[in-house]
Amino acid sequence: MVDNSKPNSSDIAIEVSQLRKEFGVLRAVDGVSFDLKRGEFLSIFGPNGAGKTTLIKILTGLTRPSSGTAKVAGYDVEEGVPAMRREIGVISHSSALYADLTPMENLVFFGKMYGVEYPQESAQTALEDVGLAPRRHDRVRTFSRGMLQRLSIARSILHDPSILFLDEPFTGLDIHASNVLKEHLQTLHNKKRTILMTTHDVSCGLEMCDKVALQVAGRFAFFEDIKDIDKENFETLYFDAVRNNQFTMSIRPH
Amino acid sequence: MNLYLNQISAIVWKDFVTELKTRELFSAMFIFALLVILIFIFSVNLSIVNASEVGPGILWVAFLFSGTLGLNRSFVIEKENGCLMGLILAPADRTAIYFGKLISNLVFLSIMELFILPLFMIFFNIDILEHLLPLLLVIFLGTLGFCSLGTLLSSLASNLKTREIMLPILLYPLLIPIVIGVVRMTGQVLAGEPLSEMMNWIGLTASFDIIYIGVSIMTIDHILEE
Repeated sequence: MVDNSKPNSSDIAIEVSQLRKEFGVLRAVDGVSFDLKRGEFLSIFGPNGAGKTTLIKILTGLTRPSSGTAKVAGYDVEEGVPAMRREIGVISHSSALYADLTPMENLVFFGKMYGVEYPQESAQTALEDVGLAPRRHDRVRTFSRGMLQRLSIARSILHDPSILFLDEPFTGLDIHASNVLKEHLQTLHNKKRTILMTTHDVSCGLEMCDKVALQVAGRFAFFEDIKDIDKENFETLYFDAVRNNQFTMSIRPH
Repeated sequence: MNLYLNQISAIVWKDFVTELKTRELFSAMFIFALLVILIFIFSVNLSIVNASEVGPGILWVAFLFSGTLGLNRSFVIEKENGCLMGLILAPADRTAIYFGKLISNLVFLSIMELFILPLFMIFFNIDILEHLLPLLLVIFLGTLGFCSLGTLLSSLASNLKTREIMLPILLYPLLIPIVIGVVRMTGQVLAGEPLSEMMNWIGLTASFDIIYIGVSIMTIDHILEE
């Protein structure tokens, strides 16, 4: 009998099993396992040093796991094949933008690196999408943090990836820039992009996601569907985890 | 193959546009090379010493030391704002990143050398025009070897806090065979000897160029990985 509760492998965008990453005696990622279906939005919360960034680095092929397996878009991340990298877009702490180039030059450059067919036109469209078209000929060095983050989004979606990884994208943004970023992410989610985001912003993270995870000391202390959790209780749990760096409470709906 | 070449040319184009806007690399390399030559001009008594004998060594000290400044910057600009991560995440073969950076370094250094050569000719009163083509071939062979190994080591050193110190420490010992070859050949060219007289040195330098490029192709994947 076929178990219909489990998605077909073709429906799964990210498949992680018993993933571990060790730096000497420190286990940054400790036995993490989860599946994420195509089009789903996963928010990962956790205190500083919980291993969220390391997890993203492994899933994007930037660093190798010590053990365990991870597949992204059906590709083993350890093989780091270009075909997998074509399927993903990454927004991290750093903008990955050349400060002395203009937004247009940056996007055309990355468009060429990703093999985008019409880099000039795609760059123009991406800049319009994130509202930076009027500043397309200014040097990136003159941009605010919010503008850099919007340009990072444009860079990461230029090649139309099916999976997006966002590492604390709201860090350092004011409330307006935060709202603009949220709108962009919502649009991408509506376009059925699979999104994995790490964040400390509980309200933002819970508002947009389909699935929630709490990573503490390298482990997934919690991984549930958003509809199965009590948001207020989750916030309490999260702050408790940040304070004590451990998982102590139940947060399922009463 | 087409995408591979496009990615290489995109990196070269990006480096050129950045340099045209900032002019950091060229001006630093040129001024440094000029200073090296000026210091030697004032310290060497050319009425006693034969300029064509000491000239090649001075010329290559100027090229290599100023070139190291350029190599140090080469991957540092990629580390700023995490741009190297953006490059590594692109669906590009890592050797495309290496060749893009190698070509950029080679062209920047060659341009600087072309500016320094006439000044060297004037200061040392050496007529290089009658030996220009063989001299350019020798300079190209030396610069290619320097850049091929230097680009690889610069990518390695860019991850270190002490990269400005580590790059020359790693680079210069490995460059010794090439430096000996090109200094000897430059001396022979300036003395008016034909290239056929220095085929052994040409073979040695070209072999090291090929070895360094080969080693770079084999190792760049691991070096660029975090």
